Amino acid sequence: MTDISKLAELRRLLLGMERAMGLEELSPVERDIYYAATELSNQPHGVRTTGLLSHSLMSNVSRPTFFRALKSLVNKGYLSQSSTSRRGVYMVHSPQV
Amino acid sequence: MELKSWAVETLAASTVYLFAFFLTFEALMPVQNLFFADFYSSASLMFLPHGVRVLTAWLLGWRSVIALLPGVFITYAYLGGSNVFLPSRLSGIAISVLAAPLVFEFVARAFCDIRSGAQTEPCWVCVMGAGILAAIVTGVLTNLAFGSPPLDYFAFFIGDVLGLFVLMLVLMLVFRFIRLRGKNA
Repeated sequence: MTDISKLAELRRLLLGMERAMGLEELSPVERDIYYAATELSNQPHGVRTTGLLSHSLMSNVSRPTFFRALKSLVNKGYLSQSSTSRRGVYMVHSPQV
Repeated sequence: MELKSWAVETLAASTVYLFAFFLTFEALMPVQNLFFADFYSSASLMFLPHGVRVLTAWLLGWRSVIALLPGVFITYAYLGGSNVFLPSRLSGIAISVLAAPLVFEFVARAFCDIRSGAQTEPCWVCVMGAGILAAIVTGVLTNLAFGSPPLDYFAFFIGDVLGLFVLMLVLMLVFRFIRLRGKNA
């Protein structure tokens, strides 16, 4: 393991601590969308917006709040628009460490 | 493994250990003495070097023994002068560098390997748990080697556990600051 990867491991360890303390930078709706996207991400060609909207975690989330949170997740690097598919398809990324 | 990598990790680990040690003894201990003037023991109630020992052992495994040895030796020489070569001090040095990797090895054999680089996701609670075990092992053996009074066992234990937690907390906040600053740049 290189020195850089050791530092990355240490950052991953402490990111877990950050999450446990509720300090991560995602709002509850963003977190729910991210959970839903992670769950749906085993589908080929990314996660579709329609799939996310119909997920049980989104049942109490209004559409404007959903799209605001989705945009925020893209800005924060947790999701990105698929480059190979049409609009409305997202790729899920691990949180940056 | 390359000699250069050994040298780099030894230099880095020992330097961080020395920094944590001098921060504890030159900055935190005077504050502790102000608030706990009647506390008879010389033990620090927030011993950051224990955190360095545990995290280094988590990252490097048994290589942490070599990586921390120069730093631990210098701290003992700083506190004890030429007495550093007394059997009790040499035992203290050995216990300091061996306890944490020994605990991680024991946990790996008895339960699962929680060390960095293992197949499992890094688990900070597990590292804290291993750090608490290492604090017990270090405290009992060190105080036996030095023949300290019983209250010192508790003082060492509290200092080690609090030192590990505070070090992890500070590192977490530093990494968080770096990450957030990077996103806002």
